[in-house]
Amino acid sequence: MAEDIVDVLIIGAGASSAAAAWSLSDTKMRILCLEQGDWMNPAGYPSTNKHWQVMLNPDYNQSPNVRRNEADYPINEDESAISVANFNGVGGGTILYSGHFPRLKPSDFKTQTLDGVGDDWPVDYYALEPFFAQNDRNMGVSGLAGDPAIPYHEPPLPPVPIGRMGEVMGKGLNKLGWHWWPSDSAIITEDYEGREKCINLGPCNYGCAQGAKSSVDIAYWPMNQRLGVELKTRCRVREITVDENDMATGAIYFDEDGVEHHQRAEVVIMACNGVGTPRLLLNSKSARFPDGLANRSGLVGKNLMFHPWGFVQGIFEDRLESHLGPMGTCMLSQEFYETDPNRDFVRGYTLQITRGQSAAATAVNHTLRGNIPWGADHHAGFEKYAGGSVNMNICCEDLPEECNTVTLDPNLTDSDGIPAPKITYRLSENSERMMQHGVNKATEALQAAGAFQIDAHGHTRGTGWHLLGTARMGNDPEKSVVNSWGRSHDVKNLFIIDGSIFVTAGAVNPTTTIQALALYIAETMKKNLANLFD
Amino acid sequence: MADVIATDSFLTEEQSLSLRALLDLIIPADADRGMPSAAELDLVGYVSEFASNQIAGIKTELESLDQAAQREKGALFGELEKNDQQTLCDHLRETDPRFAIAIAVQTLNCYYQDDRVVIALGWKARPPFPEGNEVPQADLSLLDPVRERGRIYRE
Ligand SMILES: Cc1cc2nc3c(=O)[nH]c(=O)nc-3n(C[C@H](O)[C@H](O)[C@H](O)COP(=O)(O)OP(=O)(O)OC[C@H]3O[C@@H](n4cnc5c(N)ncnc54)[C@H](O)[C@@H]3O)c2cc1C
Ligand code: SF4
Repeated sequence: MAEDIVDVLIIGAGASSAAAAWSLSDTKMRILCLEQGDWMNPAGYPSTNKHWQVMLNPDYNQSPNVRRNEADYPINEDESAISVANFNGVGGGTILYSGHFPRLKPSDFKTQTLDGVGDDWPVDYYALEPFFAQNDRNMGVSGLAGDPAIPYHEPPLPPVPIGRMGEVMGKGLNKLGWHWWPSDSAIITEDYEGREKCINLGPCNYGCAQGAKSSVDIAYWPMNQRLGVELKTRCRVREITVDENDMATGAIYFDEDGVEHHQRAEVVIMACNGVGTPRLLLNSKSARFPDGLANRSGLVGKNLMFHPWGFVQGIFEDRLESHLGPMGTCMLSQEFYETDPNRDFVRGYTLQITRGQSAAATAVNHTLRGNIPWGADHHAGFEKYAGGSVNMNICCEDLPEECNTVTLDPNLTDSDGIPAPKITYRLSENSERMMQHGVNKATEALQAAGAFQIDAHGHTRGTGWHLLGTARMGNDPEKSVVNSWGRSHDVKNLFIIDGSIFVTAGAVNPTTTIQALALYIAETMKKNLANLFD
Repeated sequence: MADVIATDSFLTEEQSLSLRALLDLIIPADADRGMPSAAELDLVGYVSEFASNQIAGIKTELESLDQAAQREKGALFGELEKNDQQTLCDHLRETDPRFAIAIAVQTLNCYYQDDRVVIALGWKARPPFPEGNEVPQADLSLLDPVRERGRIYRE
């Protein structure tokens, strides 16, 4: 029997993979995606149950170390100031994400030229612009055109309702004369492409039972499969194989029964995210690549960036019903996004304004903090806090530093015995100063909006949602892992398309940019098909 | 009864009595607001179904509560007069900030998901899906000053 060789093998079925597979499908090449997790069953999501508020743990917990699903791999985070949040299954992180969808800005692609920090990207905002727009259409993105903090673009669907809380916050921000805008959101606000619109269930971060949140298991994969892309689930890749000419030959993986296979391929695309991809490359050691595959620069796993994240919560007397609506997407302020030489830090942050807590969470948090008493006054205390909380999230730009790393843990392995990643990460002084500024400004905004109580929490550890920078792009093979269109400098038929390739992090949630880049890379591959490996 | 599947109690009868007394101190009924006492809910059934990993902690907390009641007042907590229960509870809370914390957290979780409570608060006693919720869009002319200021991003 002839050996089974696919044209394109994609590892991982998350945000970037889904977009690239869609784009490449029109080449009629044989495309196979291997994903270690399974398809989701939306009927099992917590919001289908009356007790959803307590069903969030542990199955839908954002930490793989708590969740411990079969598809998860453990992560050693003992030496990290931020812990990783991800999801392993068809859809990847988009299963749990909020769908907050702001784009990186033009200045984010040239931080070295503009501000003398980080590095410039080998692509710019305008090269990605058509791919942002295409991805918005494919995913189903809502928003309001005309935001003066970003080049003009028209989201295909109207914005998510910002609600009473949005109105109150908007008025407060207007008093200060600061920028704010309803957020671009990967949530459909009208029926779209056979999907039904958002009905404001709330707990988007535990899976959207309505299918209104544009997770890629819903927005992309069914379409990809109709276009002929094959997707094999519960296949965990251990290693990418190479030949003596430094060309990738395929991947060794374990199927759901733990049986080992070697899938041959002409082209391999890595889409395992900013932790999973360096882990797999570092696990793919060979005589020709003793330090891990595609790692002659020594930069695989280095320059890990999250977004240092802080919270300030305000409580309002008015019953804002702030606990209703898509929890992570409402509005943002980018007043402090761009560098201002008068501040004691470089670059900036987004203030992401998100919905309030559910009834049970409000009761627990404020009772434990002593705000709501036990006894006869409990009810009045609860009324004071219920439905009136607003969260200001401070999303700080993280600059690349080689000391922040993903390496292989010498002892820890997943259930197939594959070495697990270890994170070593600390906040820089610049980030600390930026965070303090953000906490002060968020407090000011909540005061201006009329909050009667403000609780500043500052930097919070369990916020490692954005996994970036560990196989960076660049034109110089000594200073980067992949070139300007995602191709490994060392292995000419190996591409990386996930968040690993970010050169700098910007100060926004990254997924729209990750997907635009994946579409851009796929398009460039298609243009160069005749001489892809030159 | 809370709207949960009741299961066999993981508590002794004495512990159940003490638990009910404590629950009534945490959240007593409020007739004006139509709010029940937490003691009226099936906390044991709730914990068995949704928070079984908390059972051991809850039992330990009840044991120490009964021991303290024996020591200070010569009887189990559930057997004391209401006034004595209140005094002892206040004292224990003052001396130990973590007093009955597992019980309190589960009580609040159970209480604020109970149908009667949710309805009394003016919310809907049903899962979010499939009916959903109404959230109004704000008057977006509020953005006029932001628009008027013009572009703020750098090229
Ligand atoms: C709780 C939460 C909230 C978030 N909110 C937002 C938000 O509001 N906005 C935003 O922009 N981003 C958000 N994110 C981040 C967002 O989910 C990620 O940026 C995005 O999913 C990254 O895409 P990716 O393609 O790089 O990787 P992922 O989507 O993580 O996909 C990687 C896939 O690869 C698979 N994989 C890994 N290793 C292997 C292997 N060895 N073999 C086979 N398969 C493998 C994994 O199982 C996974 O499915 C959030 C994330 C979380 C967890
Ligand atoms: S709020 Fe909208 S997007 Fe979020 S879970 Fe509910 S229906 Fe889905």
